[in-house]
Amino acid sequence: MARTAQEAAQLGALLNKKYRYFDYKWDLVFWVTALPVVAAAADITKLLFAGDWDFWTDWKDRQWWMTITPFAMIIIPSALQYIQWLAWKFPTGCTYTAVGLWLVSWLGRWLQWDVFVNYPLNFVWPATIVPAAIFTDWILLKTRSFIMTSILGGLAFTIGFWVANYITLAPFLQPVDLMGSIVTLADVQGVSYLRSATPEYLRMIEHGTLRSFLEETTLVALVFGATLCTFGYWVGQAIARWLAIWPIMRFMKKV
Amino acid sequence: MATRIAVDERAPVKARYGPIDWMGGWKTCVWGSLAIVVLTALHWWYTSRFAWTAGIDASSPEFTKYFRSLVWVQLIVIGAGTGLWWGWLVRTGRQLLAVKVTPDEEVRRIAVFWGLISMTSITLYVMASFWPNQDGSWHQTAIRDTALTPAHIPMFYWWFPGGITMTVGTYLYGRYRLPKVYGPDKGFPWSFFFLIAASVTEMMQVAFNEWAHSLWILEEIFAAPFHWPFVTYGWLASGIFALWAETIIRLLGIEKEVEDAAAASPAR
Repeated sequence: MARTAQEAAQLGALLNKKYRYFDYKWDLVFWVTALPVVAAAADITKLLFAGDWDFWTDWKDRQWWMTITPFAMIIIPSALQYIQWLAWKFPTGCTYTAVGLWLVSWLGRWLQWDVFVNYPLNFVWPATIVPAAIFTDWILLKTRSFIMTSILGGLAFTIGFWVANYITLAPFLQPVDLMGSIVTLADVQGVSYLRSATPEYLRMIEHGTLRSFLEETTLVALVFGATLCTFGYWVGQAIARWLAIWPIMRFMKKV
Repeated sequence: MATRIAVDERAPVKARYGPIDWMGGWKTCVWGSLAIVVLTALHWWYTSRFAWTAGIDASSPEFTKYFRSLVWVQLIVIGAGTGLWWGWLVRTGRQLLAVKVTPDEEVRRIAVFWGLISMTSITLYVMASFWPNQDGSWHQTAIRDTALTPAHIPMFYWWFPGGITMTVGTYLYGRYRLPKVYGPDKGFPWSFFFLIAASVTEMMQVAFNEWAHSLWILEEIFAAPFHWPFVTYGWLASGIFALWAETIIRLLGIEKEVEDAAAASPAR
């Protein structure tokens, strides 16, 4: 929609307005200092809802990893997407969170898993959601609708999650012979490195008959994962609307 | 009287640096945030250096020397430090409430407040992401631990209570230094209610976590249901966004007041 000359003049005046106290530092401080708490919220949500699938290469399976992890990992990006869209009309919340999560995940894996206890990083690398988050932000930009973003974005987030991480995971899915059995390279990592507090992992993953779908196995899991992801998106929206935005300038009455 | 003098003597600081200079109002943000990062690094180095040589057997003299002593040092320092800081904020703040402040001073205080939010943000990251990663790696290589093991000691007895120290301390700063936003006459803000609730419930959840591990499951499966309250309590920290919004609204108000005052006295 074209602006009128009056609107353009008002906008120009607003853009060129000289402030006494507002400068770039307020923006810089906000965007930098919000990142730790945002990344922490995203990381703790991932760790305690789906952490086991994110910690180990051999847990990155087609049954639980790609269904549970996108659900856990879209919650906080969705919250930030709402906040940044509401405040600035920036379609950047998911990507902002994803970059923060990427930073703290790698810092945690490097210092606490690799340096502290000597697990190799190619066994404990964290999944990335940066490409999936860019897709989801792009969908909000194009649709300008949280409902559409929850449906299309949930699907895009899950597929983006799988595609982006499959590139890293694929080499570890190569078959190898281990003591007469054909297993994946990831399985070899799993039995080679001590995990004293993760027993019975073979009982927890790949049970049931999902494999009977043969070449559709991944597709079925992805679409179900997208359904969960849409639900997770609205959990994030609820967090942003009721816990971050609703409290602004609200006070409990004095007793 | 000494407290009053200290309050009054803050004025010369303003003359050297403006309220929005990095070494003026933003000094708390810069140095405070850096201090927490350095403290985290030192804590991590200490744990990494001694965990595997002195931290395995809680009945050994080495454990007492390097880790049981650390628990006591942490508890004493954070307990005393928190009491002194909160006490200072309340004691000086009650007097400041009666003092009319200039726009420059109020803006400086908002910048300090944002600095405290920054320190809170980093503290919440360290307690909710950095140390839980070490906790996970420790569980996977040592056997099930107790409430007093090298990975738990920094997290449970420094950073978790540190979260309460920072969130409540930031509120006390706002209550007495920014009365037009959080003054006692306005009631208790929901933003701080959620943020403080996040840090307090996380601390309380630690006890349930240990109790539940002892009852139901010895292994450390991270996605176990009794870990989920850590997540939902953590979401309460979203109230931190309302703090930025509430103070930026006040900042806009100050800008408007300064503009109006300038317009009312054109000869100035």
